[in-house]
Amino acid sequence: MRILVVEDEPTLAQQLADALTDAGYAVDRADNGLDAHYLGDTEPFDAVVLDLGLPQMDGLTVLGKWRNAGRSMPVLILTARDDWHQKVAGIDAGADDYLTKPFHMAELLARLRALIRRAGGHASALLNCGPLCLDTRNSQLTRDGQPVSLTSHEYRVLSYFMHHPGKVISRTELTEHLYAQDFDRDSNTIEVFVGRLRKKLPEGMIETVRGLGYRLVAPT
Amino acid sequence: MHRSLRLRLLAGSLVWIVAAVAITGFLLADLFGQHVRERVDAELNGHLDQLTAVLDVAPDGSATLRLPLSDPRLSRPYAGLYWQVDGGPTGAIGLLRSRSLWDTALAVPPDALADGEVHVHQVDGPDASQLRMMERLIRPAELPDTAYRLIVAIDTRQIDEPVEDFATLLAIALGVLALGLAAAAVLQVGVGLAPLGRMRDALGAVRDGHARRLEGDYPQEVQPLVDELNTLLAHNEATVERARTQAGNLAHAVKTPLAILANAARNDSSDLARLVDEQVGDARRQVDYHLALARARAAAAVQQAGLKTPLRPVLDGLIRVMSRLHAERNLHIALTDVADTLACRGDTQDLQEMLGNLLDNACKWARSQVSISATLSDGLITVHIDDDGPGLSEAQRTAVLARGVRADEHTPGSGLGLAIAHDLARVYGGDLRLDTAPLGGLRATLQLPAA
Repeated sequence: MRILVVEDEPTLAQQLADALTDAGYAVDRADNGLDAHYLGDTEPFDAVVLDLGLPQMDGLTVLGKWRNAGRSMPVLILTARDDWHQKVAGIDAGADDYLTKPFHMAELLARLRALIRRAGGHASALLNCGPLCLDTRNSQLTRDGQPVSLTSHEYRVLSYFMHHPGKVISRTELTEHLYAQDFDRDSNTIEVFVGRLRKKLPEGMIETVRGLGYRLVAPT
Repeated sequence: MHRSLRLRLLAGSLVWIVAAVAITGFLLADLFGQHVRERVDAELNGHLDQLTAVLDVAPDGSATLRLPLSDPRLSRPYAGLYWQVDGGPTGAIGLLRSRSLWDTALAVPPDALADGEVHVHQVDGPDASQLRMMERLIRPAELPDTAYRLIVAIDTRQIDEPVEDFATLLAIALGVLALGLAAAAVLQVGVGLAPLGRMRDALGAVRDGHARRLEGDYPQEVQPLVDELNTLLAHNEATVERARTQAGNLAHAVKTPLAILANAARNDSSDLARLVDEQVGDARRQVDYHLALARARAAAAVQQAGLKTPLRPVLDGLIRVMSRLHAERNLHIALTDVADTLACRGDTQDLQEMLGNLLDNACKWARSQVSISATLSDGLITVHIDDDGPGLSEAQRTAVLARGVRADEHTPGSGLGLAIAHDLARVYGGDLRLDTAPLGGLRATLQLPAA
């Protein structure tokens, strides 16, 4: 899962990036409105953490432009401005959630998880597919109720599959959602992680669709 | 008198009208009286001349009239016009008399008249009347030592009556004129002061929240005042807006460093880190509370007028926010009986602040339902926000409204919301009460003046 963090205060941006990376997300950063708009407009993010008071173009304008262009990724506004009229303006501009500074990092992570989950059409924090159950709250995978241990890279790949079950996912899409922009992307590493995952999951759950990519299916 | 321009103007006009009419009346009546007296004197003089002309004196001193005098009043008893000749060789009173004197004679005060001189006297006449009398002394050429006193007299009632009749008519006419002038003055004052009345109505509309500026065209004497008032209103708005912006900037300036501090501290488990975490939480709550109040007080301090905020759109907007912020809770937020016409007096942002805090609190604690309703009575809008959560005990309700007390230490960002809403409502002349909701949880009842 790939997150765009838009925050002009460098220390806070770094703290956010660190916390999100620790939580298994790929993180891109922008420290001004113009860069933020460009990134959000051209890269496929699974969620955006957006500050409102930004240099060059303020956050609400950036959000409005994305929504007008049909960019529908979940956006969490993170700002010091906590007047209700700002919150109404933010939600009405197309934000999906609103968190005010200072905040608990744990709450930010929980809200982001929920946003990403709901964007994929999942109402519960538990994602189920066949015998697999992924608890997004604690990143715990169980197979028939038994915990399965995953490395962080394996978790990232599986999490993306579990958020989009039954959907054909190309290697490019996986790469784009699992790595930040400045990461040295090598689609071969994806194959390696998919291969390792297949060994930990029931036979045939990750199908290879020739020429298109992979698909997570519940075993019949 | 000092308080009312209208009374002052009217009193001035009335004094002037009454004085002018009264003076005119006296002058006219006096002129007419003089005129009548002059005419009567001329008439008496004519009669006297005629009497002189027709008087024949025999050599023995006896006097006769060659012709009767022409005025018919002289031959009708007590008709009010009389003549008499006194004197002669015997000095008799009433030597010759007009028939109108009937059996009386005029008692004339003694007088010394030069030859041909005419004197006028006021004497008692017959029938208890007062007479104006004119007399002349003649000495016939044949009897140079014998004087004849020729007298004509007229009843003064014949002078006074036309003067009195005229005065009555004049008084009626002038009274009608004065009434007309007074009515015109009332009308003029009314028309002249009407722009002030309109201005008062426009100001009332601003105060009641129906308008933000004084509207309409005013005469050039009043327009500068209207312009000044509008400038003042605009200035007040700008002041509030500036205070808000500054509060917002301060919030931003303080809270981002607080966020950094808190995040840094949470990655550490030392006592210092725990202290920092605690204090950051406290600082944040204090900043929230005081900024919210500072904003509201700025609005209240300049008595921001003309602000009318429809309730419904504010609630709709906040419900959209709540359904996002509390999306995980799958709450059912019901808006019942909120008429589109309900509007509160005051600023939109402050209303959002009060209702936002109350709704947020309700959503935070509700199990599954939040219900909002609003009614209008006696100029007060009453908004009920109910939830089906655990509610608050009597003691907690009191404590939570008291400044700076936190009812829930465990949910971040909460605690002061209800206190802020309470204090803001008080600033607006309203109130916030906490109660038990029909749904079982907390009922927050917000009362605000309606616009």
